[in-house]
Amino acid sequence: MALLCASTSAIFSSSSSSERPSFASLKRTIPSNQSSFLGFFPVVALSKPSSARTTTLSFSKRDFRVCCQDLSLVPENQRWMFEESEADGPDIWNNTWYPKAKDHINTEKPWYVVDATDKILGRLASTIAVHIRGKNLPTYTPSDDMGAFVIVVNAEKVAVSGKKRTQKLYRRHSGRPGGMKVETFNQLQQRIPERIVEHAVRGMLPKGRLGRALFNHLKVYKGPDHPHEAQKPIELPIRDKRVQKQR
Amino acid sequence: MTRIKRRRRTKISLFASSFRGAHSRLTRTITQQRIRALVSAHRDRDRKKRDFRRLWITRINAVIRGMGVSYSYSRLINNLYKKQLLLNRKILAQIAISNKNCLYMISNEIIK
Repeated sequence: MALLCASTSAIFSSSSSSERPSFASLKRTIPSNQSSFLGFFPVVALSKPSSARTTTLSFSKRDFRVCCQDLSLVPENQRWMFEESEADGPDIWNNTWYPKAKDHINTEKPWYVVDATDKILGRLASTIAVHIRGKNLPTYTPSDDMGAFVIVVNAEKVAVSGKKRTQKLYRRHSGRPGGMKVETFNQLQQRIPERIVEHAVRGMLPKGRLGRALFNHLKVYKGPDHPHEAQKPIELPIRDKRVQKQR
Repeated sequence: MTRIKRRRRTKISLFASSFRGAHSRLTRTITQQRIRALVSAHRDRDRKKRDFRRLWITRINAVIRGMGVSYSYSRLINNLYKKQLLLNRKILAQIAISNKNCLYMISNEIIK
């Protein structure tokens, strides 16, 4: 514990003087345990979040306070750790954050656009699926749709490596006996090029009610333009270095 | 002697009073559903600890991967243990949600 105090206090002492505490630290002091152990918690109060962060999350800095039961329970010498104004609000140290309905309104989700020209199909689909599911966000919840919308343009120019263009098979079955239809990548690309990217991403999204709803957040288009200019989509950040096909 | 049966069953049906449909109305189903509910609660008390830890790990991973190329949750935890920082995943996840920059500062410190 001493090492913890020393390291963390050394880290944040420099920043503490200039920053205003954003939210109170230790929520609950057990009345029986009257130690003045600081621990990690004052450290958290000292760094101010960047302003950009508050716009993306629905709860503002003010909402995200610590719910102290009663400041009178706190012994006198530790009362400096608490701010009077922040003694009500959700308790973040004892309850894990769970999104409310206003945290995932569809109209306020970000939209991304990505050009599929000469991008490797699987690597592109993987990044898209991660963004649609919301797995790059700290607010990720498996039971809720916290992800963003993704638009794919130039879907007919998506690339695959090796001989997949002639050898990768897309199968579908009509349900009747003998009703399996098989197509190669090439044939499907000539017929319905959007289906290739959709098939790839659908295989990477969860299968279930939520997965099917997530799939509707993917919009794939054949040419270079898309009808979603009003949503002001931004460029999808792809971190995979090998997504571009080497020529 | 009906009153003994009735007394026992009203106690049980009080437990199932908020269940849906026949599960709160028919006595035999009430007994069965009460048992299932209690079994689920017992099993899920242990499961809850696992589930939340999974959720925290996923959330931390999501934020940490945004830090740089090939930085991940596993490396963060390795660095945490090497520097003997005692933060647990729950606190790290809550920090990640409320104050992402703070988590970045912590991880930058422990990378060194």
